[in-house]
Amino acid sequence: MAALHRLALVLTALLFAAFAASGSALAHAALNGASPADGSVLPAAPSEMTLSFSEPVSPLALRLIAPDGTATPLDQVQLRDRTLVIAAPAGLSPGTHVISWRVVSADGHPVGGSVLFSIGAPSPTAPIAETQPSGVRPMLWAGRVALYLGLFIGCGGAAFVAWVAPLPARARGAVSAALLLGLVALPLSLAAQGLDALGGDLGAVFQPPVWRAALGTSLASMLAIAAGALASGLLALRLTGCLGQIAGLCGVGLVGLALASSGHASAASPQALMRPAVFLHAASIALWAGALLPLIQALRRGDAAATLRGFSSRIPAIVAVLLGSGLVLAVVQVERPAALIETSYGRVLLAKLALVALVLGLAGFNRWRLTAQVETGRLVAGRVLGRIVAVELVLMLAIVGTASLWRFTPPPRALAIAAAQPATIHIHTLTAMADVTLTPGRAGPVHVAVMLMNGEFGPLPAKELTLSFANPAAGIEAIERRAVRGADGLWRIDALSLPVPGRWSVELAILISDFEMLRLTDTVEIRP
Amino acid sequence: MSIRIVLATLAALVAGPAFAHVTLETQTAAVGSTYKAVARVPHGCKGAATIKVRVQIPEGVIAVKPMPKAGWTLETVKGPYAKAYDYYGTPVSDGVREVVWSGGRLLDEHYDEFVFRAFLTTDLKPDTTLHVPVVQECEGGGVERWIEIPAAGKSADDYKFPAPGLKLTPKK
Repeated sequence: MAALHRLALVLTALLFAAFAASGSALAHAALNGASPADGSVLPAAPSEMTLSFSEPVSPLALRLIAPDGTATPLDQVQLRDRTLVIAAPAGLSPGTHVISWRVVSADGHPVGGSVLFSIGAPSPTAPIAETQPSGVRPMLWAGRVALYLGLFIGCGGAAFVAWVAPLPARARGAVSAALLLGLVALPLSLAAQGLDALGGDLGAVFQPPVWRAALGTSLASMLAIAAGALASGLLALRLTGCLGQIAGLCGVGLVGLALASSGHASAASPQALMRPAVFLHAASIALWAGALLPLIQALRRGDAAATLRGFSSRIPAIVAVLLGSGLVLAVVQVERPAALIETSYGRVLLAKLALVALVLGLAGFNRWRLTAQVETGRLVAGRVLGRIVAVELVLMLAIVGTASLWRFTPPPRALAIAAAQPATIHIHTLTAMADVTLTPGRAGPVHVAVMLMNGEFGPLPAKELTLSFANPAAGIEAIERRAVRGADGLWRIDALSLPVPGRWSVELAILISDFEMLRLTDTVEIRP
Repeated sequence: MSIRIVLATLAALVAGPAFAHVTLETQTAAVGSTYKAVARVPHGCKGAATIKVRVQIPEGVIAVKPMPKAGWTLETVKGPYAKAYDYYGTPVSDGVREVVWSGGRLLDEHYDEFVFRAFLTTDLKPDTTLHVPVVQECEGGGVERWIEIPAAGKSADDYKFPAPGLKLTPKK
């Protein structure tokens, strides 16, 4: 029955069209109204959608574009008078949806447009995809872990040996090994950095451009300082007395400098705060983590009382500096608490914090329960303490391994900056120019600002400005918005959402006077 | 669905060139002659009733005499022309530049015509299209501006709001 009804309507349309051909005036259909209304935000998914036209129409193509950019054809359509009633697909997800419509009106002309509505709230940012050549990521990570072990366990250990626990030469082997591991990590890290920078895979590791590219990054100077730190550590193990102490201290200082010279945190502003914070964080890690290997050695030999006393008296200040500087770094990098869960950087930080809490718990148990017992000479306590310190060391390794993952996760601060970058276009014709800025230049809600100029860069007095955005590749017909002129002469659109990334065509309809209109067109690339 | 598309396409073929929009009834006229312009207003602005129709008189069109319309207030805006035109031997350098019908109420579901008579001077080029921009103002502040003049190589069909056009022919 419905089909018959439709057929009748189409035949009527045909009849009208015939009249049109014979000279009677008919008009293109225009969208008179829609439900959900264009730009509306609904608390829940609609069960049906309607498009009301000024003339009888036949649907040609109706599509619903979901927040993730997938298009669903809408084929459950009924014509009621001049209104298309569309059954909404089930299970619409929250976010911004686009009804892209194309109909043929009674005069036979296809017309199209888009209606945007959001369920719950307009779509947030889509996650930023990262790509990396295979094999390079593990290499980057391994290089970073080995380097950190050399710097923290090695240099920190050398400093601890020089200042607190003079171990016999045999017992220093583990610390030396850590330092040597750090040295091995230097070329490994450099090569991985070069491959990463050029986007090459492991096979290209011996090609000179890879190394040149790596040397051009800030990592090169970081590795140079790290080499100095490792050398100081080795020296501190060889030298005795005052010289050894100086070398040990130099080593730890260089560890701080090395980490402060490169990386996400050091690049963040304010630099005057971030670089010292990274320095203190790295140096205090080295002092704490470095103490663990010599402690285990001392406890194993059974004469650990002096070593423990030296460690216990120093560690509270070191942990305080470690936590204080860590807090500063986290606050600046993460920016808002929600990013801890939403971003991979935040999740790495949470994992690391959980491990740190575990280590602190063990350390507290050691200090307040076991240390006093070991000092009074109870051997059992010494063995237990030795094992717990070994567990602490393992946890430290896990922390280093976790923190090395940050090499792959831009911090929320950086993500926010990258995402907020505007997309701009400059349209230049003989009679008019326009600078269009979309902020942020990514899919989702955007603010549009337009500066209009005449062909000679002078002001262009316009009565009205209408922008339309269309994405033919994604099947989205033009989304039209009227711009409002601000006191500063800029034309702005606040309520616009570009639901999918890609190349959008932009058309500016500039009303110069009541009877004069200029059209400028261009395209703009919208990031995911 | 498919049969509908076929029929719709067929409709498009039958319809031929666009008769949509605000248009002129007589779409060819010779230069050097008097022309009766009938502007046809087929609908309101997105459903709203039309309350004002403004017609801009293009350069080279002189001696404009609009036809009064019952229920509408008729006004003209006069001004100087770009140059003096010859009107049966008399040089004319100013006259009506805009005709305004206002105060009426033309519902979206109704149709009406707005008429004026004018002389097409011989300064107009034959074998070109003369565009007569029309602005339609509606209740609720809606405006439809039939003012787009096709750029070189484009036709009125390429625009959403083309100005009504008139094909000029050589002087008889």
